[in-house]
Amino acid sequence: MDTMKFFTSAFVLFYSLITYSQQTEDLIPTKAISVFSINSGSLLQKISLDDLVKYDFMEGVQQELFDGSTSGKTIKESGIDFDQKLNVFFGKGEQYEVSGFTFGISDEDELFEVFDDFEQQESAYEGTEQYNSYMSHLVVTDKKGVLIRVMPNYRSVSKMADSIWMSQGNKRSYYNDWYYDDYTEIIEETEAVEFTEEMETEEDTSSPSEKAQFPVADEDPTKKTYYELRDSVRMVLNASFLKEVLDDLLISKNNLKKTSSKFAQQLTSDAQGIFYFDNSRFNQMGNYHHYRPFYSSFYNYVDELYENNTVVGEIMLNDGLIELNIDANYNNKLGSIYTELSNSKFDKNVLNYIHKDNQAFFTYNVNLREAYEQTYKTLVPLLEKSKNSRAQQSLLMLDLFDEFANKDAIFNTYKGSMFGSFNGIKKVKTTKIIYHYDEESFEGTETEVESEEDMPIFTLGFSSKNNAFSDKFLRRIMVLSHKEVHKEGDLWIIDRGALNAAPLYFILKNDLFIVSNDENLALNHIDGYGSESLSKDFAKKAKKSKFLYGHADFGKAIDDLPPSIFSKKENEMIDALKGKTGQVELTSSSIDQEKASFQFSYSYNEQNEDVATYVLDIINSLYTHSK
Amino acid sequence: MKVFVYSVFTVLLFAFSACIEIIDDLSINEDGSGTFKYTVNLSSSKVKVNSILALDSLDGKKVPSLTEIEQKLKDLEASLKEQEGISKVAFSADYDNFIFKLKCDFSSLAVLQNAVKELAIKENKGNEIPELQKEWLAFENDTLIRSVPKITLVKTNKINKRDTELLKEGNYTSITRFSNEIISYSNEKAKLSKSKTAIMIRTNPYFLTQNPQLLDNVISLKDSE
Repeated sequence: MDTMKFFTSAFVLFYSLITYSQQTEDLIPTKAISVFSINSGSLLQKISLDDLVKYDFMEGVQQELFDGSTSGKTIKESGIDFDQKLNVFFGKGEQYEVSGFTFGISDEDELFEVFDDFEQQESAYEGTEQYNSYMSHLVVTDKKGVLIRVMPNYRSVSKMADSIWMSQGNKRSYYNDWYYDDYTEIIEETEAVEFTEEMETEEDTSSPSEKAQFPVADEDPTKKTYYELRDSVRMVLNASFLKEVLDDLLISKNNLKKTSSKFAQQLTSDAQGIFYFDNSRFNQMGNYHHYRPFYSSFYNYVDELYENNTVVGEIMLNDGLIELNIDANYNNKLGSIYTELSNSKFDKNVLNYIHKDNQAFFTYNVNLREAYEQTYKTLVPLLEKSKNSRAQQSLLMLDLFDEFANKDAIFNTYKGSMFGSFNGIKKVKTTKIIYHYDEESFEGTETEVESEEDMPIFTLGFSSKNNAFSDKFLRRIMVLSHKEVHKEGDLWIIDRGALNAAPLYFILKNDLFIVSNDENLALNHIDGYGSESLSKDFAKKAKKSKFLYGHADFGKAIDDLPPSIFSKKENEMIDALKGKTGQVELTSSSIDQEKASFQFSYSYNEQNEDVATYVLDIINSLYTHSK
Repeated sequence: MKVFVYSVFTVLLFAFSACIEIIDDLSINEDGSGTFKYTVNLSSSKVKVNSILALDSLDGKKVPSLTEIEQKLKDLEASLKEQEGISKVAFSADYDNFIFKLKCDFSSLAVLQNAVKELAIKENKGNEIPELQKEWLAFENDTLIRSVPKITLVKTNKINKRDTELLKEGNYTSITRFSNEIISYSNEKAKLSKSKTAIMIRTNPYFLTQNPQLLDNVISLKDSE
C-alpha cells in the first residue's frame, strides 16, 4: 500500500512538474496579435543565423542583435534549446507595437556570444534576469528567454509631445507661416489631418527628411527643439509601455496562451509549425484604428461583426510535401454571411476557358445575392443600436438601396463568381521607334516599325446572366474612349488596351464576361478551349473545392508573374517563393457558421530542396501579410 | 554627356532600365557655341515601362507616377533655362512611345559643362560631386577633347545585375558635329560621316557605364581659316 502511495505521489508530482513548468509560449504577451511557433528543432538547426536574421519576422531585433556576432554560426551554436518551441510574435495596442520572440536556452554563455550587445541590468521581476540593448530587451527566466521590443506609435508620441510643446508657449509643431496666415486656418488644417498606416508604426526621427520643417524652440541652446522633445517623449513612453507589458507578463502572469483558448488549443498540435492570427484585434488596432478617435462608435459595429475572429493554422512536413491547414474562426454573425456567400452552385462554364497548359489558375465561386441579403439582415440590427450619426446615415443609405435598387439586375449582372488564369509570357506585336542615320551627315530620321515584346497572358472572367447590359456598357465606352474599340460578333477588342501596347479582348459568351489579352483564346476559342481546356482531374478538384480553388506550377509561373498585378505585400510573398520548384494547391474544404477551412499544399522535389528554408519562407510570407 | 543620364534622366534609368536607346548629339560652331540634343528612347520596351508604371514600388524603390516624372522633367527644364549661356531650351515627351527629347543652345562648351554640373549638384541635394570637377569637354585650337566623367561608373555600380543585363540590350549613340571638316580623331570605334563634318560612336549603355573611356575622343578639325 505504501509502495502504491509512493508511486501515486511520484506520478502526481511528475505530472504537476510537466504540467506547470513554464514553457516558452508562456512568455508570449497578451498584446500579441500574430504568433508563429516553430516546433521542430531539427528543422531549424541547419539554418545559419546569418540566413535566419534576414527574415522579416526577425526585423525587430536585427539591428541590435546581429551586428556581426552571428557571422558564420549556425543556430545550433546560438545557445538556443531546440527541444522547446521558438515563438515569433507581433502585436499592436492602441498606443504601441510589441514584437519579439520567445525561446528555450540550452547554454547561456553561447547565447550571450550572439546577444553580445546586451548589458545586464537589475531586474524588477523576481526570478528573472534582464538585459537591454537600446530598444530591445531580453528577459531570462528558468532557462527560457523572451526578447521583446515595445515601441510607442506615432499618435501616442505626438499627443504627449505636442501637449508639452504647446504648453511651453510654442506654436503647433506643424505650423508653418509660409502656408498659414492665422491661427484659425491652422485649426482647420489640423482637423483635416489623416493619420496613415505609416504613422501608426514606429517612427524614426534619427534622420529626418531634408524637406521637413523643423520647429525650433528658441535661440536658447539649453531648450529642446520639437524633434528633441519627441525623442525624449518616445524614450519615456517606451519605458512606460515596456513596464506595462512586462508587469502583465511577469507579475500578473498573464500571457496569450491564458487569454486565448484558440491559441492554447493550437499549441497542442504536434505539427512542425503553427500560427495564430487574431483578426478581431487586428481590425481594432490595424486598418481602421487611425479613424477611431473621430468615428469611434461608427466602427463599433465592425468590431461586433469581427468578434472572435481568429485565423489558426498548422504547417506540416511530409515526404516532399508541405501542407498548411488553415481555419478561419468567426462568430455566428459573420458565419451566417459566409455560409450564404458560399452557398453557390459551381459555374462549370468557367472550366472551358482555362487552358490545360496554364501556369496558374483559380476559381472563386460565391453567391453574392444571398450574401447581400444575409449581410443586410445582420448589419441592420447592429447599425440600429448605434446612436452615431454616421452609422444612421449608413443605415439610411442601406435602406434606400435595399428598397429601390433592382437587386435582380445587379446580381444577375455580377453574380460574384469568377475565375482567372495565367498562361505564361508570350510575344505580342507592338511598335517601336528606331533611328536611321544617313551616311552623309549622320542626320537621324525616326521610323515606326513593328516590334515584339514579352507580355504576361492573363484571362479573368465573371459569371453574368446579363451580358446584354455588358454589351451596352462597352458600346458606350467605345464612344467615350480615346482608344480604338471595335466589335466582332461576341468579341470586343480594344486596340492597345493591354499595357498600352497590345489588344485587350472582351468575350461575352456562355453567361460569362471575360477579359483577356490572350489572342489565341479570343480569336480561335471564343466558345472555350474544348479538348484543350483544363484536365478532368483539375476540373474535378475545382468543382469539389467549390468556394475557392487555386493551382500554380511554381517552376513555370512564379518567375513569370508580373509584379504589377499584385500588391506590395503579395509581391513580398511571391519574392520569397521565387527560385523554388513544385506545385501549389489551395482548396477550401468547408464553410459553416463557425469556421472556414482551407488547405494549402506545396509539393516539391524532396532531393533537391531545402525544406527548412521553404517553411521559413512560408512563415515569413504569412508574417509580412499579418502585420 | 553621360552625366545627363544620371542627372536629367536618373529616374528613367533606374526605374525603367528596360531596353533603352540614348542619343547624344552635340553640334559645335566655329566660335565654340553650339546645340546639344539628348534623346532617350524607350519605345521598344513600352510593355515593360507601362507595367512598371502600374507599380507603387519595385525592388524597394518607389516607382514615380507619370505626373511625377512629368513634373521632374519640367523642373529640370526650368533649372536648365536658368543657367547662364544656355538658351532655346526645348523639352518634349511622348508618353505613348516613351521618347524624351531635350534640346538647348549653349554659348560655349564651358557653359554647357557648367550647366550639367550645376544640375547634377542640384540633383545631389546641393552636395559637390568630385568626379565632376574635372573638365570633360574642351574645344581649343580647332581640337575637341571629350570624355565622360567617372561619376557614371560610381552610380552604375549600384544597379543590380538584372538591370545591368537589360542595359546591355540597349544602344548608346554619340554624335559630334562641326561646321568644319574633321581631319583626325583618336577613338578607333568612331565613324566619320561622308561629309567629314560629323563623327559617331555607337555602343551600349552597359559598356559605357563600365568603361566611360569608350566615348573619349580627341577630334582635330581643318583650320577654319
